[in-house]
Amino acid sequence: MTTRREVLKWGAVLPALGTGWHGAFAAAPPNNALGLDAMLVDTRFPGALAVADAPVPVMQFAGDVTRVWFDELDARWRQPGFVLGGITGSDALFVLEVLAQHQGRKVISRVALDLPPVNGVQAVRWIIAPHHPSVTA
Amino acid sequence: MDAATFADGLAAMRSAVGDEWVFDLPADLNTYRDFYSVLWGEPEEKVASAAVAPANVEEVQAVVRVANERRIPIYPISTGRNLGYGGSAPVLSGSVVVDLKRMNRVLEVNEDNCSALVEPGVSFFDMYRHLRESGSKLMMSVPDPGWGSLVGNALDSGGGYTVSGYRGHFEAVCGIEAVMADGELLRTGMGALPGSETWQQYRMGIGPCLDGMFRQSTLGVVTKMGFWMFPTPEAWLSGSVSVLRYEDLEELVRIANELEYGNLFNGMPGFGSPVLTRENPIAMTMIPEPEVMNAMVQESGVPAWSFSPNFYGPERVIREQWAYVKSRFEHIPGVQFAETGFVDLPLSPEDMERIHKPRFGIPSLEIFSVGSRGYGNFNPSDGHIWFSAVIPRSGQGIIDANRVMRSECERLGLDLFMFAPAVTCWTRSFVLFAAVPVYKDGRNAHLRDAVREIIRTCAEHGWGEYRCPPAFMDDVMDAYSFGDHKLRRVNEAIKDALDPNGIISAGRYGVWPERYRHMRRTGGEA
Repeated sequence: MTTRREVLKWGAVLPALGTGWHGAFAAAPPNNALGLDAMLVDTRFPGALAVADAPVPVMQFAGDVTRVWFDELDARWRQPGFVLGGITGSDALFVLEVLAQHQGRKVISRVALDLPPVNGVQAVRWIIAPHHPSVTA
Repeated sequence: MDAATFADGLAAMRSAVGDEWVFDLPADLNTYRDFYSVLWGEPEEKVASAAVAPANVEEVQAVVRVANERRIPIYPISTGRNLGYGGSAPVLSGSVVVDLKRMNRVLEVNEDNCSALVEPGVSFFDMYRHLRESGSKLMMSVPDPGWGSLVGNALDSGGGYTVSGYRGHFEAVCGIEAVMADGELLRTGMGALPGSETWQQYRMGIGPCLDGMFRQSTLGVVTKMGFWMFPTPEAWLSGSVSVLRYEDLEELVRIANELEYGNLFNGMPGFGSPVLTRENPIAMTMIPEPEVMNAMVQESGVPAWSFSPNFYGPERVIREQWAYVKSRFEHIPGVQFAETGFVDLPLSPEDMERIHKPRFGIPSLEIFSVGSRGYGNFNPSDGHIWFSAVIPRSGQGIIDANRVMRSECERLGLDLFMFAPAVTCWTRSFVLFAAVPVYKDGRNAHLRDAVREIIRTCAEHGWGEYRCPPAFMDDVMDAYSFGDHKLRRVNEAIKDALDPNGIISAGRYGVWPERYRHMRRTGGEA
């Protein structure tokens, strides 16, 4: 886990991800003192790997979210809490958003990134946080 | 419906399921929109007035009774993931979505009977996890993507990629429990016999078999469903039979049909045209005249047609079957055979990385990322709908459907990013599948007009859709017009008898209760 203050510091080391990084992650729920609990990185976008050494667990995948969702996120999203930040393709975020909504979570921040698209797929940074009373910590 | 009655009904539903499981705020209701709606953002977009998520059968019954007493329209969904066919949005705007996602228990897996009984919120991933963790010997059939509900997918006539008798998902259903409009519970088949141990063994029970009443239906809220499952085979083999002339297609399909209907292979076969999918493997181009196509084959060296049988079973059995299948095509001049895949099961980690997982009953979300790998310029955050017409299972069926669809789409300016004229989820017919991009702007008006024209054109050729998005359900049902629309009239007579207040899924697949029948084609809001 890291503090929200530490998360905000990441912006200083992530110039490749363009402006607005601070703002995106500042959208973590203010009542969540822990800030982000983990990061998800889509390795199709080499620039996104700049967060690979972030001070929270960083999960990686390459476009297809099946394994990371099935092996990691599904179980975590069934439990209260767990704020997830990500830098992924818009296609992966679409899938994750639908799956997250099913578990009472929603995207509370999304910003298109100035990274080279992959076959037309835009990179996005985002935060998915608990929303429904059944999963809010 | 007046606001006071609706508010009173919603309050009663809150009492039944708990306050936190009734959703009526705009932000929550946004998640019940059809993200691929061809009416997106327009006044006619079909949207819910509220959603309620019961946790068990008793709560479903309570919700249905509340709705029936107040004549509040409801729209049950299992998980609402059938994107391209409507998602979780109701057909009748103003309906209360009954979201069954919390009813996610695998009630039984019977290893000896090779069957399962599940609730509607059980997703293919849930079931896969259950089978894996319990060490089950059974394999299920899954659609692609596999994030939906077993029950919902079967009820919508979804299909998979595995073995005949299982991959047409409604064909593998054995036993349904449903809450009817009056709130009472119905069990079909042997489930109607108290104490029966054969609910998932014998589908028919006694008298008319009622399972079909709940397929694409407006008659009940399905709360349990039984499925037959396939014992995981020892091995899988895939072959290809390729022929070089336009004229060979008819013989290729005729023999393949005979072999499948005779159980000489049991996996889902593929039919395609290598030479017409060179540029885009998921979109066959227009089939040209014979001499043109034969010249293309001559110049490219790429076969005109291919048939790909799949076999599941013990290795020595399926290798013999493959040998026999090949022997049946040897008389076709220039025919080519290839073994394109073989794996022992259970799958090794290496095999898992290279196979198409749904062929092995393994749910996947990989299809959502194929666009970034250069297939079809597809991004799931863009919308699309499916056009799915049942066409004759013959070579001529493929040729005619391909040409009509391609020429009509060109004439009407309709884009297709996926086009496969001979899909075989269902063993006795082909289904022409086409994915049509939808938009979030003014282009959808033209798209709707064009799709409706194609529905009529297909009907003139005797081809009808087996499934469609809500915006086209009335049009598709219109095409099934034999006997002055007797099919629809009987369906609506049954609807009025079993659901006299017309509360369940009004308008679904063109079946409207008397109360809302004036909304046919024009739509409206309850």
